[in-house]
Amino acid sequence: MSAEKKPKKSSSRLKMQLVDFWNEFKQIKFGIIGIIFLVIAILVTIFESFLIPFPEASTRWRDITYWEDNPRNAPPAWINWFSKKDYTPTTYIDDINFEENIMSPTMTLMTSVIEYDYRYDVPPIDLIYRGRYKGSFTLNIVLERPDGNVLNLVNKNFSSPSWKDFRVAIGTEAKNPVQSFAKKYQNSSVQSVKVNNVLFAQANETILSNPQPLKGTYKFKVNIIKTSADTIIEEPKLVLSGAVSGILGTDNAKRDIWSGLIAGTKWALFIGLLTSAISVTVGVIYGVVSAYYGGIVDSVMQRIWEIFANIPLLPVLIVLAAIFKPSIWSLIIMMCLFFWVGPVKTVRSMALQIKEETYVEAAKALGASHARIIFKHMVPILIPYSFASMALNVPSAILYEASVSLLGLGDATIVTWGQILHDAMNGGAVTNGLWWWVVPPGIAIALIGMTFAFIGFAMDTILNPKLRTR
Amino acid sequence: MYCRYAFKRILMGIVIYVVIIFIYSVLFNIMFAVSNIYLLKEPIIPMIFSRWIDTLTFNYGQSMVIRSFKGETDVFKIVLERVPNTLLLFTLATIIDIFLGIRLGIRKAQKVGGYMDKTTSIITMVCYGLPTWWVGLVMIMLFAFIFPFFPSSGILSVPPPETFLKRVGDVLYHMFLPVMTLVLIRFWGRAYLTRNIVLVNLQEDYIMSARARGIPEKSVLYGHALRTSAPPLLTMSVLSLLNSFSGALIFEGIFSWPGMGTLYWAAVQQNDIPVLLGNLSITTLIYIVGMILLDLIYGFLDPRIKVGKNG
Repeated sequence: MSAEKKPKKSSSRLKMQLVDFWNEFKQIKFGIIGIIFLVIAILVTIFESFLIPFPEASTRWRDITYWEDNPRNAPPAWINWFSKKDYTPTTYIDDINFEENIMSPTMTLMTSVIEYDYRYDVPPIDLIYRGRYKGSFTLNIVLERPDGNVLNLVNKNFSSPSWKDFRVAIGTEAKNPVQSFAKKYQNSSVQSVKVNNVLFAQANETILSNPQPLKGTYKFKVNIIKTSADTIIEEPKLVLSGAVSGILGTDNAKRDIWSGLIAGTKWALFIGLLTSAISVTVGVIYGVVSAYYGGIVDSVMQRIWEIFANIPLLPVLIVLAAIFKPSIWSLIIMMCLFFWVGPVKTVRSMALQIKEETYVEAAKALGASHARIIFKHMVPILIPYSFASMALNVPSAILYEASVSLLGLGDATIVTWGQILHDAMNGGAVTNGLWWWVVPPGIAIALIGMTFAFIGFAMDTILNPKLRTR
Repeated sequence: MYCRYAFKRILMGIVIYVVIIFIYSVLFNIMFAVSNIYLLKEPIIPMIFSRWIDTLTFNYGQSMVIRSFKGETDVFKIVLERVPNTLLLFTLATIIDIFLGIRLGIRKAQKVGGYMDKTTSIITMVCYGLPTWWVGLVMIMLFAFIFPFFPSSGILSVPPPETFLKRVGDVLYHMFLPVMTLVLIRFWGRAYLTRNIVLVNLQEDYIMSARARGIPEKSVLYGHALRTSAPPLLTMSVLSLLNSFSGALIFEGIFSWPGMGTLYWAAVQQNDIPVLLGNLSITTLIYIVGMILLDLIYGFLDPRIKVGKNG
């Protein structure tokens, strides 16, 4: 490039250089694919709350009460497409409209009918009726089956002067009526009756030993009798805790894995981008400074570099994390402490060449300060290389965080993919073949890694013209 | 000339080791003081130095919970008996991986931009961010539990077979799954690097002149191109062995391979800090020894260093 005379030109020269770089980048197919993936990941982060059925997954991942209505270890709902039997998916019915009948000044009867169309082979794990209330009321649930049988499932009183949650698990509350209903058809010595198997089974003599599904519309009549005038009931809903659940199933703490996975995306991006941006910036400046000053400064800086390069990173991280119990911030700082060594050697050798360029000498002759020469004339030339290096560093930062989390040493206030895998290992997901718990987080890590590898390798191809494939 | 180079390099390595151990000592003593794990009775500065000397003389103290296979509590013995297992697993995996990776890499360089080069390059990038331990988990789930072909963990069956030959066979059988996983993930990356290194060399003039002289392509590739690419290829291979050694410690825990990685895992779970620190020191030592060996071999292969500037 010819020497520019106007002083303002150096920033526009940088701009031109980046535009050229982008034009070349556009030619490389997998680089574009990488960019598209990155945009998708960023979009997922932005629209996280629209994508997941449990919007508070990120903040209440370890809150058992938040997940209690889900089934435990349920496979994803879409396995119905592949299996012979249809499994009931987890369903939330929350548009429940009540008809109010005022019976006396203090008593109000609220009734509603919830219709549920059951067309599956395997019944749900549990039925849960829940909501919030204040005051006192009696809850009565009557089920009318498609074959006309009527079962009185629940009769229960609630009273509390302040706001409280109520939660009725029909599977445990309705044991007795269901048992006597089943005994009418089959005389069995079996003591424990699986309530939901009977509720959704054909009424014949094998109702207990070999229940056949009874498909059709089930009507749940919910009668609530308010026994005091100031009773308020809010957010009533019926939850069918299914045999299959959600997009990616649930884990052994009843958590929805899809929600965890999407909530983990932002942390993976955050950890990866921040760590690699900081460490590569430090490394590039370190290399340039070392090359620019040369002599004793250079050799001291290179010795320091050598010491850091000889520290085995992952074991040190594990030991530090085991003693320190890090938050996500301290983990990022720890990674940055060791990651900066990566680009130094290459940058130093590149900077040694740049140092000999005529325009650097000209700048020196004009009396430019050291800082000006380094940051205005040398570092900008290395920006494309820095970007490539950053892109290739992102996956390893994510991987290191995942490895530390896998050992159970991650930040317990957030949810990351490594932590989901840690829970999966401890929860016996591998031995029991719960693939929906083990496979997706790993694929997510691999996808993000691939995204940045595509971008990084594409930049690498531009920067090393000898690797061009004609 | 080479002797002087070697001597300097080894000395340098020892100095680096001593400095790193000092850094560890400072770091961990400060952290203990901050987090109050040990109630320190002495002031911190003498503690830092006494621990530094202890670590350098392999005096790691007694473990808190973990015992060696024979039941000893000496941390040095606990760590030392696990070193061979780790080396066995990773060396074997790396040898297979180098063999396959270099062959594939040369094939890729030979027909750059061809169908095979493109597809394998894509696979390289797909595998780039793939956690090996996760692939290990999936492999165990698939081939040890869903289709029980291979054992899921350990190095020997219980009870171990009696004859030596059978025992070797048993170890190999237990190694199959972890080694296969490591190779399957790694060798794409190695092939890609080999391709890049060989590709640069293939554009040199002496290759063209060799081809012009009518030397068969195979001998051009394996004789000329591979020969000049040997030093960087070797560096890359040993470096990746070292990285796999320190990076894949997690991987060992997944397969319950009784090596140093599983020891980290156990020490973290039981909060056995002496074992953790002792293990870290030995890992660092092996890592640095590997780095020194790497430079020594590199110097031996690279004539510029071997003969010296004046020679």
